[in-house]
Amino acid sequence: MIGSFRKKGLVAASAIVAIAGLALAAVPAQAREVGVTATSIKIGTTVPLTGIAGPGYAKVAPAMKAYFDYVNANGGINGRKIEFIIKDDRYLPPVSVEKTNELILKDKVFAIVGALGTANNLAVNSRVRLGSRGVPSLFVNTGFSGFADKKKFPTLFPLFSSYRMEAKIMGQYIKENFAGKKIGLIYQNDDFGADALKGFESAGVKFDVSLPYVSGTQGAATATTWIQKMAAAKVEVVYIFGVTTATAAAVGVAAAAGYKPQWIFGSVGADATTIVGQTTVPVALLNGALSMSFMPDAADTTDEYVKFFREVNTTYNNNATFDNNIMAGMNGAMMVAQALKAAGANPTRKSLIAAIESKGSTWASAGYPPIGFSSTSRVGYTGFWIGKYNLTGSLIPVEAKGTIFTTDSGNGPVVKTTSKRPALPAKGLPN
Amino acid sequence: MKTNIGKKTFVGLVSSALVALSLFVIPTSASANPVCATAGGIKSCQGKTSDGAGYVLQAPLNFNGTAFIYSKGYRYPISIPGAWDVAASSVAEQVPGPSAAIKQTTAVALLSKGYGLFSSAYAKTGWNADGALKTNVELIAIWKKEFPTTKKIVAWGESQGGFITQALAENNPGLIDAAVPLCMVGGSVEAALKMAGDALWGVKTFFDPTIKGGGYSAGAAGVGEQLIDIGKVAAALTALQGGLATGAWPATSKVPDAIKAAIPSRSALTMVGQMAGLPSISSHVDGVSGPGDEKSLAHAQFVAGAAPAIATLQNLSDAAVLGILLIADLEGINGGRVFDNNGVDYEKQLGDAKFVFSSALSGFDATDILLGVLKAAPRDTANPAALTKLRAMASHKGVVNVPTIAMTAPFETVTPGGHVQWLINANKANVAAAKAAAVKAIASGKPATTPKDNLMVIWNLPPAKYTTFTATGSPDTSGPAANGTKHCNYTSKQLVAMAEIGALAAADGKLPNAGTVRSLMRKAGGLSFDRTFEAALLKFYATE
Repeated sequence: MIGSFRKKGLVAASAIVAIAGLALAAVPAQAREVGVTATSIKIGTTVPLTGIAGPGYAKVAPAMKAYFDYVNANGGINGRKIEFIIKDDRYLPPVSVEKTNELILKDKVFAIVGALGTANNLAVNSRVRLGSRGVPSLFVNTGFSGFADKKKFPTLFPLFSSYRMEAKIMGQYIKENFAGKKIGLIYQNDDFGADALKGFESAGVKFDVSLPYVSGTQGAATATTWIQKMAAAKVEVVYIFGVTTATAAAVGVAAAAGYKPQWIFGSVGADATTIVGQTTVPVALLNGALSMSFMPDAADTTDEYVKFFREVNTTYNNNATFDNNIMAGMNGAMMVAQALKAAGANPTRKSLIAAIESKGSTWASAGYPPIGFSSTSRVGYTGFWIGKYNLTGSLIPVEAKGTIFTTDSGNGPVVKTTSKRPALPAKGLPN
Repeated sequence: MKTNIGKKTFVGLVSSALVALSLFVIPTSASANPVCATAGGIKSCQGKTSDGAGYVLQAPLNFNGTAFIYSKGYRYPISIPGAWDVAASSVAEQVPGPSAAIKQTTAVALLSKGYGLFSSAYAKTGWNADGALKTNVELIAIWKKEFPTTKKIVAWGESQGGFITQALAENNPGLIDAAVPLCMVGGSVEAALKMAGDALWGVKTFFDPTIKGGGYSAGAAGVGEQLIDIGKVAAALTALQGGLATGAWPATSKVPDAIKAAIPSRSALTMVGQMAGLPSISSHVDGVSGPGDEKSLAHAQFVAGAAPAIATLQNLSDAAVLGILLIADLEGINGGRVFDNNGVDYEKQLGDAKFVFSSALSGFDATDILLGVLKAAPRDTANPAALTKLRAMASHKGVVNVPTIAMTAPFETVTPGGHVQWLINANKANVAAAKAAAVKAIASGKPATTPKDNLMVIWNLPPAKYTTFTATGSPDTSGPAANGTKHCNYTSKQLVAMAEIGALAAADGKLPNAGTVRSLMRKAGGLSFDRTFEAALLKFYATE
C-alpha cells in the first residue's frame, strides 16, 4: 500500500515537474529584443560604398545616417538613439551575404534597413534566411517585384515602385509616343532585368534590338559593343535598364561615337549627378532623355520634402552634392524612423512588422504614388511620374506636376491620376 | 621512491608509446584476447574483433575513467597509384585529424589528460557503416573488460565515422554516454552519393562524355575503369583550369560549338558545383577577395565572375573523385548501379545560385542555355534491386538519444553543413513531437517527462577573408587550406576542445552549458555556437 502510494506520488511529482518545464518553455522571454537597449536601437545595412556600383549608390547609406543623426539630435525614437551600422558589399551578392551575417551574428542588429540591390537581397534572403530567423529587412533599395511576395519573404518590405510597374508604364509611353521608330533595350541579365522584361511584355512593347549584359561587365569596353550594335541597327530610341554605371558608360561611349538616340533611362540608373560624374560628357548631353521617378526630382526645391532633406543634408551629411541617391536614402530612413516609432515603447521584431502592415500605408514620405502596405500586401509605392531631363540635368515632368501613373506588378491597367501624398510631418520627424 | 613525471616528460613518453604501437604483435585469430603492453605510462592493446577488424586500445596508467571510441572516416577501397594506398589506410586510427601530425598531437593531448582511446580498422575498407556499427558494439565490451574502471564512454567519429557515431547513439544509447560526430554524413549515404554523383555527372555531361561515371565492372576490371575515370576527370579539370581566363572548354567536351563559343567554360563549371550543392568557397578561395583595388572593375569581375568557378574547380577535384569511388563501392556492395538522376530537375537544384552567381554563370540567358544542355543529356539509371538494397543500409532517424555535440564546417567540400542541418531539422521535429505527446499525456492525467533537446551543433567557420594572390593576380594555392574548408580540416586544438565538451556531457548526462562550451571554443579558435545559424540543406534533402 505504501509502495503503491509512493509510486503514485512519484508519478504525480514527475507530471508536475514536466508541466512546469513545458509551461516554462512556453513563457515568452521578457528580455529586450536583439539590438534594443534602454537607450538605443541598433540597425544596419549593406550597400555598395565602393566597387562597380559604388558611384552614386555610395551616397545612399550616408544619407540614411544623416537623417538618423537628425532624429537622434531631436530625441531619438521613443527615447532611444538609432545606432546605424553600414557595411560595404561592393554590390557583390556573396559579399552581401557575408556582411549581413556579420550584422546579425556579430553586431546583433534589430533589423536590416535599406539593403541595396536585387540579386544582393535575393542572395541574403535565401542564404542568410532572414525570414525563418525572423529578422526584418525594411524598405530594400530595389524595385524587384518578387519582394512583395509575403510568403516567400515574410520579414521583408520593399518600398520602391517595382521594375515591372516601371516597364509597364514606360512601355505604354513608348507605344503612344514612339510608334514606328526602332527601339533598342540594354538590360542587366538577372532578376533586375528579367523583372523589367515581364513588364514590357505586359505592356506589349517589342524591341528591335535587345542587349543583355552580365552584372559587373558594364564598363566602356562592353558599352562600345552596345553602341556599335545599336548604331548599326539604326536604333532611334535606346532604353537602358541597368545601374548608373551602365547608363554612364553607354552615354559616354555614344557621345564619343557621335551616336545620338532618344535615350530612356530606367529609374535605377538615371541619377544625372552620378551619370555626369562618371563621364567626360557635359550634363547638357542628357537634355531630352526620358526617365521616371516615384519621388520628386532632387533639384525641385519647391517640394517640401526636397527642401527638408536638403536642410538635413547640409547639417548632417557634410553638405554632400544633393541628388536622387541622397533623396532615396533619406526617404527610406524617414520610413524606417516611423516604423520604429510605431513598433512601440518596447519594440520587437514582430511588433515592427505588425506596425508596418497596419500603418505603413499612411506614413509620410516623399514618394508621390500611394503605398500599398497592409496585412496582406507588401507592395510599396505603386507608380511613377515621367519626366525629361533639361540642360542642367533636372528631370522635368512631361505632364502637369503631380500627375502620376499607377499600376500593379501583374497585368492590371496603367492609370493616370494625381498624387495625394501625405504632408511632411512637423520638423520631418515621426508623429 | 615516488615517481614524479613532469607533464612535459609525460607527453614525450606518450608520444613514444604511440609510435611503439606498431611493434606489437596483432593476434591472428579473431576475438582472441588482446595483446597488451605498457610503455611510457600508457597501456596499449591490440587485437581483432569477431568480424576480423583490427583494433587498438590505449589508456594512460592514470586513466580517468572516460574513454573515447573513435570511428574513422571513409577510406577509398582501391589503390590509386601514386596517390592512395588502400592497404596503408586499412588500419585503426585512434583519433580524428586531417594529418598524421595533428592526429598525433590530439592523441597525446587526450592521453595526457587521462582519457582512454580505442578504435577499430573496421572489417572492410570503403563504406561499411552497417558492419562498423556491430564492430563498435563488440569493441566497447572488449574495452570495458580490459579497462574495468571505465565510467563513461564517448563515441566520436568523422565523416563516415560521424555517421557511425550517430547510428551507434540512435541504436545503442545504453552503450555510450555522449556522442561527438564530426563533419558527419547525416541521414543516409544516399545523400552523399547524390552530391558526388551529381557533380560527376555534371563533369561528364559538360566536359567529357566518355567518363563512365557508373556501372563499373566487378573486380580488377572495375578498378581499372575507375582509375581511367579518375584520369579523365583530372584531365578535364586541368583543361578547365587552363580555360579560366580564356573561357576555353576542354577538348573532350561535346557541348555544341555555338554554346562553347558564346559561354565561357567557367560558367558551366560553376553550374556543376552549384547544382550539385558544392560550396562556393574552397580551400584557397574565400569568395569575397579579389586582386588589386577593391574599387576596380577587375576586382568586381574576379569576385563575381571568376572566384566561384575557381572555388568549384578546387572542390570538384575532391567531389568528382569521391563520386567515382563511392559509386563504384556502393555498386559493388549492392550488386548494381545505384546512382539515378532520371527526373532530376537541375534548374530546381541550381535554385538561388541562378541569381547569387549570375555573373559567374554569365547571366540568365547563358544559365538557361546551360540548363538546356543538362536537360537534354542522357541520365543515369539505377538497378532497382540495387537501389532497394542501398536504401536498406544503415540510416539515421534523427533521434538524439544521448547528449550529442556535432561539429562541422558549413562550407566544407565532402560533407558540407547540410548533413548536420538535416540532423538539426530532424531532431527539432522529433523533440517537438515528443513535447506535444507529453502535453497530451499530461492533459489526460498520464505520467510524462519533459523531452530533452540533446543536440548541440558547433560550426567551424573559415575566416571571413583568407585568399591571397600571386603577383599575376591569381589566388595563391600553394599554402595550406584555410581552417573551415576542405574535408574535416580541423586543428588539434579544435579536436581536443570537442573531446573535452563530449567528456563534460558524458559526465553530467546532459549538454554542457553554453558558457563552458564558448570558453572551450574560444581557446580552440575558429568555432561558432549559434542556434540560429542554418546551413544549406543538401540537394538530396532540399529537393526531395
